[in-house]
Amino acid sequence: MRKCFVPICLLVLMIVSAACSSENSSGKESTTPPQEITYASTSDAAGLSPIDTNDSVSSNVTYQVYETLFTQDPETMEIEPLLAESYENPDDNTWVIKLKEGITFHDGTPFNAEAVKYTFEQLKDPDRAAPRASLLAPIESIEVEDENTVVLNTEEPYGPMLAALSHTNAAIVSPTADQEGDINKEPVGTGPFVFDEWVEGDHITLTRNEDYWRDPAKLEKVTYKVVPEFSTAISMLETGEVQFIDAIASDHINRVESIQNVEVQKTEGTRVSYLGFNMEKEPFNELAFRQAVAYGIDQEAYVSQLNDLGIDNESIIGPNVFGYQEDAKEKGYAYNPEKAKQLIEDNGYAGQEITLFAANRDNYMKMAEIVQSQLSEIGLNVSIETMEWASFLESARKGDYEMTFLGWSNSTADGSELLYPNLHSDNIGSSNYARYENSEFDKLVQESRSSVDQEVRKQKLHAANLIAMEEAPWIVMNHGIVTAAYDASMEGLIVDPTGKWSLYPVSR
Amino acid sequence: MVGLIIRRFLQLLLLLFGISFLVFMSMHLAPGDPATIIGGPNATASDLEAIRENLGLNRPVVVQYFDYLAGVLQGDFGYSYQTNQAVTEAIITRFPATIKLATASMIVAIIIGIVAGMISARKQNSWIDVTSTTFALAGVSIPNFWLGAMLILIFSVNLQILPVGGLNSPFYTVEGMKELILPAITLGTASAALIARMTRSSMLEVIRSDYIRTARAKGVRKHSLIWIHALKNAMIPVITVIGINFGGLLGGTIITEQVFAINGVGRLMIDAIAARDFPIVQGTVLLVAGIFVVVNLVVDIIYALIDPRISY
Repeated sequence: MRKCFVPICLLVLMIVSAACSSENSSGKESTTPPQEITYASTSDAAGLSPIDTNDSVSSNVTYQVYETLFTQDPETMEIEPLLAESYENPDDNTWVIKLKEGITFHDGTPFNAEAVKYTFEQLKDPDRAAPRASLLAPIESIEVEDENTVVLNTEEPYGPMLAALSHTNAAIVSPTADQEGDINKEPVGTGPFVFDEWVEGDHITLTRNEDYWRDPAKLEKVTYKVVPEFSTAISMLETGEVQFIDAIASDHINRVESIQNVEVQKTEGTRVSYLGFNMEKEPFNELAFRQAVAYGIDQEAYVSQLNDLGIDNESIIGPNVFGYQEDAKEKGYAYNPEKAKQLIEDNGYAGQEITLFAANRDNYMKMAEIVQSQLSEIGLNVSIETMEWASFLESARKGDYEMTFLGWSNSTADGSELLYPNLHSDNIGSSNYARYENSEFDKLVQESRSSVDQEVRKQKLHAANLIAMEEAPWIVMNHGIVTAAYDASMEGLIVDPTGKWSLYPVSR
Repeated sequence: MVGLIIRRFLQLLLLLFGISFLVFMSMHLAPGDPATIIGGPNATASDLEAIRENLGLNRPVVVQYFDYLAGVLQGDFGYSYQTNQAVTEAIITRFPATIKLATASMIVAIIIGIVAGMISARKQNSWIDVTSTTFALAGVSIPNFWLGAMLILIFSVNLQILPVGGLNSPFYTVEGMKELILPAITLGTASAALIARMTRSSMLEVIRSDYIRTARAKGVRKHSLIWIHALKNAMIPVITVIGINFGGLLGGTIITEQVFAINGVGRLMIDAIAARDFPIVQGTVLLVAGIFVVVNLVVDIIYALIDPRISY
């Protein structure tokens, strides 16, 4: 026994000494930190080509490597030229875009009108099956006028053109790199950071583009570390193993805020979370029923559970989305259980059995539980059915539900990009999960898309918004707040209302 | 012995064929469409159709299966729907992390389990025995994710002596060892508890057997009686437990990999299931099944080495 005891003691001693040696390397540095940051991402990028991906994790990376013709100011959301120099509309169907000169891609390929034409044609090519092909669907043809001028022709006027051209998935790729290699694995753009390495499932590293067309970025190296468990990511932020996390859920925000030397940024966002009815089923297709439910839901009670990470506003177009006007806020069905009960009694809905269909992610379960208890109070008989995301999406898309919870992160912050995919009758069977159909609403949304006069667009969107609020195919639960938490040594980070961030202005 | 290996190999082929069929069909017939995941909630019907066409998902399932099988027979396990990475490459990049983690946890489990089990058996019903069986019970009962989170809070966040997550350095370096300690303990505890209980009961049985009494009567020293004569015979069921556990650990340890941000096979599989990335799911399941069969074979061979009465 004693013979065995000694080696075990030695082993334990070894482990402990290994643990204690090289003092505190996981702790925070006190001297000037290196110009490097590590960001913890809850999942890995699906790919690194803006043409072939459509998820926010991938665009967090591609946004640093590629650039778009236009961009949105992260604070004001005003659209301004980036790779473009200027643009003009000789008529409503023609966009003549002058490009900045002297810019090259990371592989040395010159950035010019040919590159823009190539990228947009790839994005539209049915064989490539780009997931965001719909962004540029209204563009009929792309012409190269000269080296630095590209002309986009549309069939009908396309109002959200600049917002679409600012979208991360409309970023310009190096034609050489795309033809000769796989930009989904080795991205080549014009951006401030150059791709270095991708160990799939583990990390992606980018380094500073020393030949950037503006002043080079301040950060020399950026690492995206995949940390699937959010509480682990918070621990890593606390110990200094990562410097930056974002999209903090309401359940975690208090812990993050209590960490010393960590700054938390909260910005009112463009995401809207809602309760949607299946408008093809009874009694959900009856206005009185939807009104009863709308009066019966106390959004304030729900938002108070979100630890200040939600905005209570019943307008479908949120306060940070183009097309919102202040008076929409007052036009919703404010919580009024008496009115709800009255409507239920008058229309014989008492005891109506309904099933809330919820995916087991984000805050959907929390929403379902709160709505269940609130609707039970007004006399409905509510049960909850939950599913994991992939099965949920398929059932929801098929219209295999009665009432469900979903959200929409509006990545262009333009109201047309909210109302058209989600509530226009063109998209029943795809992204219009509520299967809502109203010709007047459709017309207004169509006009908001086809006008290039921004003031006209705003009015059309507002009018459409009011119709949808009154008809209530959706009941807004809350508008989102985007969050980021980072080491106090990090400066210059601005998270925009769509949740995007550029690392170009960031330093330590 | 050679006969055993050949027989097992043939069984393995048959098993893998059966499993590939079951997994393929269950993934394709279960709800959840890979195209809706790739396209996202805002994809239009034509976007989705284009994605399905691109992935070949609009062909009949049986055609897809035989196509897949034909590929597998030529060593082509397909490409990930999500990242277009070759399945074999995806597995090969993740497998080292899983092997490292599984081996380290197994070492922790074997050392703690066998020592605790032996001591418990020798001092049956003493306070040491009671303490060790209580810990064994706790070890099996405590969920991994909770233990992992607690160890991170104590050793990484509060004491700051071990890193929170990731296996970034080679295991033979000090950094690499530090990275392995917490996940190995998290994962090894449950196995340690099982091994301890198995060692204890098996040891108690052997100690009471006739040949031990005879050996004792002949004056064999107590030390060699326990550690040589008794332990060797008591090990057969313990090795079975170790084998099954090790097979399980090599197949990926989803929760521990998740909590400690380790890029292993378990995480690859669970992410693929969530994203309906069929080729990756099939590849990882076949790998896990294959590992189980091989580990069982190795266990059988070890039986014969330990116990001369067993021969094949």
